[in-house]
Amino acid sequence: MLTLSLALALAAAPPDTARAAQPVRAQGAPALTVHNQPALPVVALRMSIVADDPPGYAGAGHFFQHLLLPGLEEQVARVGGHVQAIRGSDAVVYTVVGPASELDYLAGILRGALRVPTQPGTAAMLQSLGALSDERATERETAPAYVRAALRGRLFPADLPAAGTDDAAARLQTASLPDVWARVYAPDRVSIVAVGDVSLDAVERAFRSIPPASGDGAPTEAVDDTLPAFEADTPQATRGWIAQAWRADSADAAAMSVTARLLRSYLRRRMTRSNVEVEHWWTHHGQALALVVATPDSLVRAARGTVGGALTAFRPTVNDDGVRAAARALRREMLFYSRTPERMAELLGEFADRGAGRDGAQRYYAALDAVTQDDVRRVLDQLAAAEPATVFVPPQRIPPEQRR
Amino acid sequence: MGARIFPAVAAALLAASALAGRAAAQERVFVRPEPGTPVVAVQVLVGVGPVDEAPEQAGISYLAARSVVEPARPALDSLGAHLDVDQRRDAIAFTLTAAPDAWAEATRVLMLALFRDPVDSAAVVRTRTALARELAAREASPADALEREVSKAVYGADHPWGRPAVGTATSVRAIRVSMVDAFLRQNFTPERSVVAVVGPVDETEAREELAPHMPAGELHTDSVPPPAPADAPVEAEYNSITTWVSATWRFGTDSDVEALRMLAQLALDRVSFGPSRRSVYNSRAEVVQYAGGGEVRMTIVVPPREAEQWAGQLREAVGGYAAEPLPPAVFQERLRRFRGERLLELDLPEQRAAAMARSALLGDRTATLVDFTRLTPQRLQAAARDLENPIIVFLGPAGSQGGGTH
Repeated sequence: MLTLSLALALAAAPPDTARAAQPVRAQGAPALTVHNQPALPVVALRMSIVADDPPGYAGAGHFFQHLLLPGLEEQVARVGGHVQAIRGSDAVVYTVVGPASELDYLAGILRGALRVPTQPGTAAMLQSLGALSDERATERETAPAYVRAALRGRLFPADLPAAGTDDAAARLQTASLPDVWARVYAPDRVSIVAVGDVSLDAVERAFRSIPPASGDGAPTEAVDDTLPAFEADTPQATRGWIAQAWRADSADAAAMSVTARLLRSYLRRRMTRSNVEVEHWWTHHGQALALVVATPDSLVRAARGTVGGALTAFRPTVNDDGVRAAARALRREMLFYSRTPERMAELLGEFADRGAGRDGAQRYYAALDAVTQDDVRRVLDQLAAAEPATVFVPPQRIPPEQRR
Repeated sequence: MGARIFPAVAAALLAASALAGRAAAQERVFVRPEPGTPVVAVQVLVGVGPVDEAPEQAGISYLAARSVVEPARPALDSLGAHLDVDQRRDAIAFTLTAAPDAWAEATRVLMLALFRDPVDSAAVVRTRTALARELAAREASPADALEREVSKAVYGADHPWGRPAVGTATSVRAIRVSMVDAFLRQNFTPERSVVAVVGPVDETEAREELAPHMPAGELHTDSVPPPAPADAPVEAEYNSITTWVSATWRFGTDSDVEALRMLAQLALDRVSFGPSRRSVYNSRAEVVQYAGGGEVRMTIVVPPREAEQWAGQLREAVGGYAAEPLPPAVFQERLRRFRGERLLELDLPEQRAAAMARSALLGDRTATLVDFTRLTPQRLQAAARDLENPIIVFLGPAGSQGGGTH
């Protein structure tokens, strides 16, 4: 899930070249977007497979990434590059970065990641499943990750954790991996974003042929993924954690981002002894505004009151000067974040993966500049009309008899 | 594909040099227009450091640098600009990154703070307190302890570069506001500085922005006293269960620095953790260049009882490449990797600005970014041959390794 307050960016200029996805997909090739950056002879290639995990196999996409990653790292290191594998809410993503002169080699590595996986050895299987298990535990181990995961589970029940569930992991252990892969991968789900000193023609040649789908992708069994209840895993924390989120799928995305930024500034001014984060969540599952506050034990009650009334109290403070300053800050953060080819590819690709279109990042960047106080108020109205999800982690209290 | 594109690689890098070369008329300002880069990075490299400090004022350069920009930070924050200050032995780097619509204003704010505004006494006091606290916390870390011991061993305890470039908590606490003010007036001058600008800027406009702050003229540089390196391995005691072993090779002005960088990377592969080197907990190699030469430094962390043996392995890891040139196929394979790693070291615009500024400070008027396009097995071998015996430093529990005491 993208957190816009943290993960922003794009170039001021639109991509130099982009191919419409549909015509290329019709020929069995991935959708391509190429952003030419001649500053350095380097290229970042981001390949995403826009797919949810098959029902009953939550975590499958990320499991395949764990299986493949050691081999990919070894191959990319030969040209001095590096590779990253991320399972987001929208897509299974691989990014490789290396010299532009190695475009064909790097593209070949990514194409290889699309092949039908062979059944791994026991050690590799257990290692990958162990990594997923660790990630699942980590998500519930600390309060910051826990409250976000719990909010996400309530607002977007279909958006299952990237690391899946224990039951799904057990099924993966005995499943036919080629069959599971056939339900994740199809050529028309693949998008490539290339950023660097490369041309569209060269990238198109490098990805001319990608592996075909290996089956019809139809489910072979009807199994549901069941997420264990969060209440059973409440983490220990030294401060109280108060989290509240509102879903607003139809809200204007740029106005949502500006609203989140303004609300964060407002609450930070009011809650000077608490840590306050306000985040804009945006994936193909929908949009939400999430408020996460960590506060000392003595202030929990007051903080819960402030959070509960945050939208109402904040509304009258919105003005055009503040909106313009927040939008300007967001635009600058986007530019700063995307100053490497890898991050630029990440930004362009994330907007496309969540369904904003291949020029979604550029349109969002432009839209930020046009946000007005009325737009922000409209977003606040949409949020106020939604049923909020709330999560609370109380501060841990040591009983007096256990104190020294 | 690779063969076709490789000349383009060379061309791109040479183009950077040529652009910077045109800038040489103004001597100390270098601009690299990059139309596709989303931000502008500016590095102001002020050639001030320990050589300019009295021993009892060690750290005054860094204290002055941080103090003088502290009042400017709110203005920079409001512009969305990021500023980092980094003290090296021979210079202080002020690195500014800003959006294209804010870089000129942010640069103006920085340059006025550096070269025009008087230092704010309250800022000095605040910075001194914060810096002394940071240094006190760092003094216990093994990385800092090793750096101190290696600097002493390579340059000599009485050499300006033999003491920590940022000073110590004790020395910084003793520096008064009036000393900082005098130090700034005497040393922080445009004539001792180079500026590199990288990003989506128009070269002429960028020069016009900088002209009021950077009057034309030759770069003024310090002369550094000759070092007095240790003539035997140095053993420094540190309360730990592992031992840090550092080997430093000094090199001169005419050395082939790019070949040395590749050599360091290859040598590192020979001593890093692997199936046959399970006792190497950590390893690192770096090549730093100063006016008049530089250092190749390799560091590994190993069990104390193996420290002496690994010191020998470090010598051999580098010296082995002096015997004969690598076979062409092997060399090409290694070069392929080295080229990628070097390029990715520059993937941030601020890294490119830093590379240009440093190159310019060292007297390269073309401010070349990288120069690996003509590396050969023979150049690699020659670079290895040029290196003499390394200065070895052990940092670890007492009596666990050979060598003298320090």
